[in-house]
Amino acid sequence: MDALPNASDFFFFPYSHLTTTTTLDTMLEARLQQAKLLKSLLEAIKELVTECNFDCNDSGIALQAMDNSHVALVALLLRSDGFDPYRCDRNLPLGLNLTNLNKILKCAGNDDILTLKADDGGDTLSLVFESKDNDKICEYDLKLMDIDSEHLGIPDTSYDAIVHMSSAEFQRICRDLSQISESVKIDATKDGIKFSGEGEVGNGSITLKQNANVDNEDEATRIELQQSVSLTFSLKYLANFTKATPLSTRVTLSMSNDVPLLVEYKLDNLGYVRYYLAPKIGEEN
Amino acid sequence: MGIHGLTKLISEHAPGAIRPHEIGSYFGRKVAIDASMSIYQFMIAVRQQDGQMLTNDAGETTSHLMGMFYRTIRMVDNGIKPVYVFDGKPPMMKSGELALRLERRKEAEKNIEEAKEVGTSDDVNKFTRRTVKVTKEHNDECKRLLKCMGIPYVEAPCEAEAQCAALAKANKVFAAASEDMDTITFASPILLRHLTFSEQRKMPIDEVNLSKVLEGLELTMDQFIDLCILLGCDYVDSIKGIGPHRAINLIKEHKCLEKIIPALPEKLRENVPADWKYDEARELFRKPEVADCTDMELKWEEPNIENLVDFLVKEKGFNEERVRKASEKLHKNAKAATQGRIQDFFNSVPTQNTGIKRKAPADTKKDDKKKKGGRKPK
Repeated sequence: MDALPNASDFFFFPYSHLTTTTTLDTMLEARLQQAKLLKSLLEAIKELVTECNFDCNDSGIALQAMDNSHVALVALLLRSDGFDPYRCDRNLPLGLNLTNLNKILKCAGNDDILTLKADDGGDTLSLVFESKDNDKICEYDLKLMDIDSEHLGIPDTSYDAIVHMSSAEFQRICRDLSQISESVKIDATKDGIKFSGEGEVGNGSITLKQNANVDNEDEATRIELQQSVSLTFSLKYLANFTKATPLSTRVTLSMSNDVPLLVEYKLDNLGYVRYYLAPKIGEEN
Repeated sequence: MGIHGLTKLISEHAPGAIRPHEIGSYFGRKVAIDASMSIYQFMIAVRQQDGQMLTNDAGETTSHLMGMFYRTIRMVDNGIKPVYVFDGKPPMMKSGELALRLERRKEAEKNIEEAKEVGTSDDVNKFTRRTVKVTKEHNDECKRLLKCMGIPYVEAPCEAEAQCAALAKANKVFAAASEDMDTITFASPILLRHLTFSEQRKMPIDEVNLSKVLEGLELTMDQFIDLCILLGCDYVDSIKGIGPHRAINLIKEHKCLEKIIPALPEKLRENVPADWKYDEARELFRKPEVADCTDMELKWEEPNIENLVDFLVKEKGFNEERVRKASEKLHKNAKAATQGRIQDFFNSVPTQNTGIKRKAPADTKKDDKKKKGGRKPK
């Protein structure tokens, strides 16, 4: 298919070399100082979503996808200024199989410098891992796919209760309660936040009091409350969300009655991972 | 029995309109089920190893109760909220079809006698299955069972499929469940097939989406109804010599039955049944006799386990332990909160990606390359 380019091509069609891979016609180029970040991000979403589009444009890389049963939604944003350098000339959706992307990312060292590259209309995403001392370079190409995904408009909600807490603590609570129960009831009041579960073997609850622990900012629990809320969620999904714990020491739970819970992990200077989870609703017959 | 060859026609012309799903993905969904057809199915399928119907000590049939009890529990256990719809009196138009069925049953009865004398036991089984008839007693027992289980039911004034479709149209339920494709001709937005099948068959549920069917066939609802009549429905005879392929082409060319008949070639026009009441059949599909369901309240309640035991164990000879264990599942799910779905809260917006992709770049060279790209087709 790729005939040897002849001189006239270069003269009259300066872009004819598009048919061969060179860096000049690269559409997307994003360089990340530590591969670890992208590795952890993949760990945080790959259980929930197997295939999705990474939407790249000049402001950064975004992703939105629902899990198979359409109960949870994950939204990811990596702003362009978190990369150095970052270039994306035009909107470019990269349809990827996350299991396969994860396989390739496993080949990168945590401290490697990672570069993502894609051509306009190309059918692969290139990943380059350079070791810190610059004496090893790994290059991988991953096949892209066309993915028909439903895009949801997420309304701007002013939540009734916003809880900032330690991400490790949240992970622990979800893990502990899932031992006895399938779902957790979350009650947020001005005094604190209570997680309770009930199952065949018995029941249990964990209450965190509002505290502004000045000694250790990471451990503090802070609650911004407009109105008390009480909601029930599936622990299976929450436990899945806590796979993002390595990404941030803090997590924010935003809740209003009868709307999806927002669980947000902020990424330093780069963006966020947000999970939305539809609540379990009591009898409405 | 439904519409002749419609499933095949849809899967050819609108492949996206029928999608298989796991039963587990219907959690929290309310579904209207054609009870009369299900009971008939259970009486045919729920059998002993020797092919005889299940009975209690007194010799009364229990196949229908067995089927209804355990298959309903399977649905409830998957978080589905079923509502059963029972047939009322059949429409006048169906008398021809019903007479035919009666004839077939009589013939099967005759065959049984023969088979008993000369045939194998397989033959006997085959013909006994064809003689199955659902009586009023069977229906009443099923209604009594559903009451004990806390599952609602609706009595349709006429055809159950039409009532199921009306419930789905009125948004009282998410979908209608039936094996008959009639249900989408009655304009149920979504039809589920194989919902009441046994778990052992490992049959996925086929979800038929009416708007995608119409989109794929490029027909309006009225044209679709005419197509179904041409294919062959329960109410009027079809025209001999017109198969699915010709039927869809005729509808696309002439748009309605009135214009199709005079346009038929001589030979086929002879086959048009005398006194062909296609317009009446069309009215039956368009405005079937159904109960108004705007104010209908469907309530799922806690099961009455003691009543269930009294009925199934004491009267019908079911195993008490199994009934109690299964009822426990009903009880557990009646209490459980329903898992919501993200789309109930966030609305779908047109995907930006496809919009951008369609905008061909000014540089045609690039465009060419895109087509050659090895991307998986959608």
